[in-house]
Amino acid sequence: MDFPEFSSGIEDKEAVVQSLFWVGGALCLVATILPLVLLFRPSRLLRQAALWVLLAGTGAISAAAILVISRSLDLHLTLLSITPQLALSFRLDKLSCFFVVIIGAVSFCAVIYSITYIAHYKSERSKQFLTSGLAFFILAMLLVVASSTTFGFLFFWELMSLSSFFLVMFDLDKPETQKAGIFYFAMTQMGTIFLLASFLLLYRFTGSFDISAAGNIPQWGKGLVFVSLFIGFGTKAGIIPFHKWLPYAHSASPSNVSALMSGVMLKVPIYGLVRFIIDVFRPDLWWGIVLLFFGSITALLGIIYAFKEHDLKKMLAYCSIENLGVIVVGLGLYVIFDFYGLRVQADLCIYGALFHTLNHALFKSSLFMTAGSVVQATGTRDIEQMGGLIKRMPGTGAIFLVGACAIAALPPLNGFASEIMIFQAYLTSFSLGRPILEILLMAGLAALALTSTLAAACFAKAFGIIFLARPRSGAASAAKEAPFAQLLAPGILAALCVGFGVFSYQLISNVKSGMPLPDILPIGIIVLVLTGVTFLLLLLTRSPVRKTETWGCGIPSQTGKMEYSGDGFSEPIVTVFKPVFRTRKLSTREFYDKYNSIPKSSSGEIGTLKFFEERLYVPIARFFMKIAGAVSNLHNVDMDALILYSFIAVVLVILGVGWWL
Amino acid sequence: MNWNTAVYIVMNPLFALVLSPLVLGLIKTVKARIQGRPGPPVLQQYYQLRKLFHKEIVYSEDSSFIVRLGPYLGIAFMLTASLFVPMVFIPQTGWFGNIILFFYLMITAKFFMVLGGLDAGSTFGGMGSSREMTVSSIIEPVTIMSCAALAFVLKTTSIPEMFRTLLAGSIFSYPTLILVGISLFIILIVESARVPVDNPETHLELTMIHEAMILEQSGPKLALVELASGVRQTVLMALLINVTFPWGLAGLAGCASLLLAAVTMAVKMLILAATVGLFESLLAKIRFFRLPDFFMIALFLSFITIVFELLR
Repeated sequence: MDFPEFSSGIEDKEAVVQSLFWVGGALCLVATILPLVLLFRPSRLLRQAALWVLLAGTGAISAAAILVISRSLDLHLTLLSITPQLALSFRLDKLSCFFVVIIGAVSFCAVIYSITYIAHYKSERSKQFLTSGLAFFILAMLLVVASSTTFGFLFFWELMSLSSFFLVMFDLDKPETQKAGIFYFAMTQMGTIFLLASFLLLYRFTGSFDISAAGNIPQWGKGLVFVSLFIGFGTKAGIIPFHKWLPYAHSASPSNVSALMSGVMLKVPIYGLVRFIIDVFRPDLWWGIVLLFFGSITALLGIIYAFKEHDLKKMLAYCSIENLGVIVVGLGLYVIFDFYGLRVQADLCIYGALFHTLNHALFKSSLFMTAGSVVQATGTRDIEQMGGLIKRMPGTGAIFLVGACAIAALPPLNGFASEIMIFQAYLTSFSLGRPILEILLMAGLAALALTSTLAAACFAKAFGIIFLARPRSGAASAAKEAPFAQLLAPGILAALCVGFGVFSYQLISNVKSGMPLPDILPIGIIVLVLTGVTFLLLLLTRSPVRKTETWGCGIPSQTGKMEYSGDGFSEPIVTVFKPVFRTRKLSTREFYDKYNSIPKSSSGEIGTLKFFEERLYVPIARFFMKIAGAVSNLHNVDMDALILYSFIAVVLVILGVGWWL
Repeated sequence: MNWNTAVYIVMNPLFALVLSPLVLGLIKTVKARIQGRPGPPVLQQYYQLRKLFHKEIVYSEDSSFIVRLGPYLGIAFMLTASLFVPMVFIPQTGWFGNIILFFYLMITAKFFMVLGGLDAGSTFGGMGSSREMTVSSIIEPVTIMSCAALAFVLKTTSIPEMFRTLLAGSIFSYPTLILVGISLFIILIVESARVPVDNPETHLELTMIHEAMILEQSGPKLALVELASGVRQTVLMALLINVTFPWGLAGLAGCASLLLAAVTMAVKMLILAATVGLFESLLAKIRFFRLPDFFMIALFLSFITIVFELLR
């Protein structure tokens, strides 16, 4: 009342945000419907128009979210209310808007990328479908993080899962896509079941579907809800051992979709974790330890698996698992430090985790887009078939290099800027004063350090094998540079990677002052100056430059086949981590005679044991198949047994009703 | 920025740059003497650099801008990293000094060298790059654990602050630092590619790691690469020296004290260089896949330090 102008200013802002949000959502919906209007007479014009509308829609929603963050607003909006309890209502506060900005901005770039990327598919029908699915997927993700009720959250979560499932199944003729689709569908539904269970538990305890009302529930119920939420969100985020769908789904889907799935969709469960674990509940210590443990394992195994992969998109997918692990480590550490009241370290971890979420969205979607251009240009995802692409696709190569440096956590880029926050928290944890816990933390620190250099090794390999040296196949030597839009979109993201890295200190101090972090801006300036100075000094030597062929020990001419291969590059690390990879050797021999002396045929097979798939998933699946078999046996019986069933059922019902009353 | 910091920013990298060939030369001389050879003159490395700067540059036809840009970035990142370890006097701390950033700057320099090794399409380069990345991945947890040990003992993550704390105490104040010192020595051996990890003197496929990776560099570019690895070694030596025996480091800048401190540092550095040469002569190269066992010693010692510090 004292400051009427000020409060009316706030209301104005709220009105603006509200209208931007609705308009943005409506535009996304229009973009979903537009390509499908003329289903049987697909038109290129409508498809293009839909992409532009989608661009405007994501732009509008991002603008609304940025306004909310910069003005610290807290808005409640309701779209539809079936009953006062079951409503699709939204809450735009700083946390949800942070994720809305990530989703909006990355989707914006992905849509730019799609303008030319979609055009390379053959059938006009599939192009329409892809455009429409993309718009719907983006809209669903935006609405999940904006939801303020568990009901709305789950509703849009399912829409997100389904729309992404259809996008994964885009190339459904390929057997690999079918496998990916089934894996994805089964696992994502399993995750949803756990989410549903925890939301129903919350409803049972609080009598409300409102997310923010879930705070006051008994201790044991809280633990149960946490485990259930962790499995539900962990499945979607690719936390090991719930990760197996991720590499399949990411490699099978079109590249603009995998950029969105990896860059953005994996962040939605992180939002869920942050919202429920940190904002709504007051977490226990063991939650933090669980998060830290699974996060560290995920990060380490994710990058070790990525290192061996030579399918480019699968490698990127495993790297996403690694980065999600790092984020979960940050959340776990936050819980631990917060529990013991170490404010500075807790802040470092939570802001580090959120910053890494943003950074991963930027560099991973940039990498997926450039990888998509590479795959489009060479027609293969196998990096052993690539090589020498930097001369043929210089723009794509340079952008990939920036992304690779960022994901490898090299200063002064953004991947480092967020990882150092977590390192810093680890290193300054000496005031914790709990020796046993501290030893656990140090094991986590060693794992994180190993993870981050393995990431550097992995991307040195990826960039080196894909872009450097000679082409290893005809397709690679015939590759052409990607069209402008496919350079612009990842280029914007790569520029943001540099910006968020160099100015990270300034950014973070804007959000929260007093963090014990190094300022990276002067480092960037000094490196730039020193590079320039050495360059100029070297010009002074006026050394003549000669070009000749690579020395090959006197071989007349070298071919691409003689180069070091990706497998060769990863061999030493694979050997060091042999126990993790679990190589499996099978050999069979057949003989003509019974004394096994005249060999008839033999076969040998050597491969990696897919540990989680073969030792965890398949046994569980077998178990359920067995139960299903047993149940189906109950059906195949004669009349007498059926009468017995009915009798038992009636007795049980009577007993149950009697007990109830 | 006051003039104290300005002097530091110019002086510290320059000190490392000028001293590093001498350190390398001395190690070579010590090794040669132990093997019963006269060996090259101690200043040979300087002559070598001068020679390289006057030679032509040869590029492979298959190579791209990476191999051209790599040496510049390598030396730039290494010199920036050298700002983080005060060698002559301790400046007022500012934006530099974070120990994690220090080690990551060194990794960045290495990353571009590794890409340079892959660029020409030579099998030697690829082999060297692959092995270099393997070694540096496995040593990294050890490095970060040593950082953690230092941070736990000295209650700070800034290297200049650590040295200041050490200077204020006596030689018996932090006995556990001896253990960290051994860890840092192993890290020094690994990072500067010395026996028993790598052999800087041979060009045989079986032993070479670092030397294979830079095989395609030539002329002034090779000189830059050599300088960068020299600076890497000098800076790590300075870190080890100042952690275990910081006395002689000037607290503040002043002409006379600076000169004295520089001479003291140089003497300490040369003593350490002789030790490294002796150490190298006493050991045989370890088989590549046995290296993790060697690194585990360092990891263990850092871990023990942390445990001691926690139980104190």
